[in-house]
Amino acid sequence: MLSEIPQLLINGIMAGAILAVPAIGLTAIYAVLRFPNFSLASHATIGAFAGYVANTQLGFSVVPALFCAFLVAGLVGLLSDEFVLKPFRSAGFITTAIGSIALTIALENVVRFIFGNSLNGYDLPMQRDWRFGDLRIGPQQVENLAISVVVMAVVFAFLSFTRTGKAMRAVADNPSLADIKGIDAARIARIVSFAGMGLAGVGGMLIGLDTSIDPLTGFRAMLSVFAAAVVGGLGSIPGAVVGALTVGIGEELSLLFLSPSYRSVIGFLAILLVLILRPRGILGQRAY
Amino acid sequence: MTGSTPLLPRRTALLAGMTALAAPAVSRAQGTSAGAPLRLGILTPLTGAGGFDGPRMLKAMQAVGEEINAAGGLLGRRIEFAVEDDQTNPEGAVRAARKLIDVDKVPVIMGTWASAVTAAVAPVCWESKTFLTTVSGADSITQLPHQGYLIRTQPNNHLQAGKHAEFIAGTGAKKVFVMSLQSPFAMPTQNRVREVLAQKGAQMTGALLYEKDKTSYRSEVDQALRTRPDLIYLNGYTPDVTILLRELYRAGFEGPRFAQSYSVTDKALESLPREVTEKVYTVQPSSDVDSPAFEAAKKRLGTGVDSYEAQATDWISLVALTIAKGREATGTALRENVRKIAQGEGTKVYTAVEGLRLLGEGKEINYEGASGPCDFTEIGDIVDCKFRYQIVENGAFRFLKVA
Repeated sequence: MLSEIPQLLINGIMAGAILAVPAIGLTAIYAVLRFPNFSLASHATIGAFAGYVANTQLGFSVVPALFCAFLVAGLVGLLSDEFVLKPFRSAGFITTAIGSIALTIALENVVRFIFGNSLNGYDLPMQRDWRFGDLRIGPQQVENLAISVVVMAVVFAFLSFTRTGKAMRAVADNPSLADIKGIDAARIARIVSFAGMGLAGVGGMLIGLDTSIDPLTGFRAMLSVFAAAVVGGLGSIPGAVVGALTVGIGEELSLLFLSPSYRSVIGFLAILLVLILRPRGILGQRAY
Repeated sequence: MTGSTPLLPRRTALLAGMTALAAPAVSRAQGTSAGAPLRLGILTPLTGAGGFDGPRMLKAMQAVGEEINAAGGLLGRRIEFAVEDDQTNPEGAVRAARKLIDVDKVPVIMGTWASAVTAAVAPVCWESKTFLTTVSGADSITQLPHQGYLIRTQPNNHLQAGKHAEFIAGTGAKKVFVMSLQSPFAMPTQNRVREVLAQKGAQMTGALLYEKDKTSYRSEVDQALRTRPDLIYLNGYTPDVTILLRELYRAGFEGPRFAQSYSVTDKALESLPREVTEKVYTVQPSSDVDSPAFEAAKKRLGTGVDSYEAQATDWISLVALTIAKGREATGTALRENVRKIAQGEGTKVYTAVEGLRLLGEGKEINYEGASGPCDFTEIGDIVDCKFRYQIVENGAFRFLKVA
């Protein structure tokens, strides 16, 4: 049984790294706009399909297709927030969160209307896994891991070194103070909606690269993404990464003593444990 | 005295009202007399998830009804159908069934499709002694206390899993691993496959249940491959089975895989690289395509006949023949007599009209249907059924056999 641990750890890190990208989007939106935007699920799907069109129709390779996924999902996120969710915000965060559930169902059905219900696959060569003794690692997974790491590095650099990134952190930490300092909260909200949903789109495509995509692609991943963000500390961007790795590795290691049919219970258990022991999440709720 | 004046008109009104209320009952009673149409109930999904199969099942039954009417009807009466939409929804289906039973007074309801719908409609039927024919496959359906008022022409899970294991053993696989999506059919399938493989000299080296809606099943695949199987049975739906097929390819598994045809579809083949789906066997319940009954159904409908149309053809044929045999159109008579014409030593017949003619001559018959032999166990399951097997080669299905 112990010999299985290294392989499970590798699988968990790979799965966690992919989860981390949309989890950063979810937590960044929460940090600035102060509501859990469940429409992230459909934006992940939209990104997956945008990347699919770029890859299969326009012949783009993975990285340019990921840019398309980011841009299209980000743009839809910006517009849907501006025209659908923004009017909800004055009614409180619960109303806005419920509005985002309605939005995600509507967008999911738009995707269904355009692309149908069937599965679609990216036009990528299938490669056998590399083997190192008893361990196996997939080339596609390594590529996905590398892309996730680069995306995370770009997000952190953006937050640390750019004026807009610093303004975002300021709004997330103390909206009133940021307002006094003359930071335009509405502009920051638009940027975070665009970037957050763009990241969801990238996450959706990364999931799709490893599997196939259909209109429920984002919805299937949503529970794990939400668990990752809550466990890490909803609103904390490094927390989203830590949470995603915790959930990813936790789910895999649970297979040592649980049937695979109970894998999702780990996500819920992690949320329960963290909320009991550390209600603000592993890294608290500071954005950065 | 002033107060008594309106009494008579009130009595008259009461009498008139009672007469009006009684009129439909009188006409219904008259409607069941010789010469009046014989009304049978159809409850198929015309909308909802079953909206693809329901209308075609309805047409198949109507076509047989027309054929019987053209040949002189049933017990000297024309067959007439009372049709309702079950909406693939238990709540809507129960309302529709109540209407068929209480208003249309049908002795039989033919056509429920989804297991959840059948589970909801069945109690309404057996409580009102109405016969029910269904296509729902869950084992639990025929285990309901239906007192014999239910038959189904779809193979149940037990029968399907047994046939799957026989085919798998026939491929020469000695060590088989079963990966099942967590669902009501998962454990019964695993148990039956284990049992039949052991009888056939093969072995189920292991099995696992996996969760739906996961984005990766790498660790599950590792678990399966540790038992070094010759063949892996993937018992799930398209979204998870396609992920498993990819993972098995990446992990270097070269052996054949076996799956239900509803999980490895044409669209699934399009979405997966060819090398991933190579040597995947698929299976589905099949009509008895070589039988004269199937040929007759094809001619009657003027198109290809699928398993659901074939089963619908058999329901109305069985019901008509049973009513003719018992000379009584009630649910209880259907319950008592259906096996007298569906199985046994009588002359084999392949259409309702042919059977009605022989029954009219006082002969015993055994109806052999378009979907299969239509022999029923005590609880209403079919005893046997054919299955269609295919294999994927170069990204396309190649027909293997119907057996």
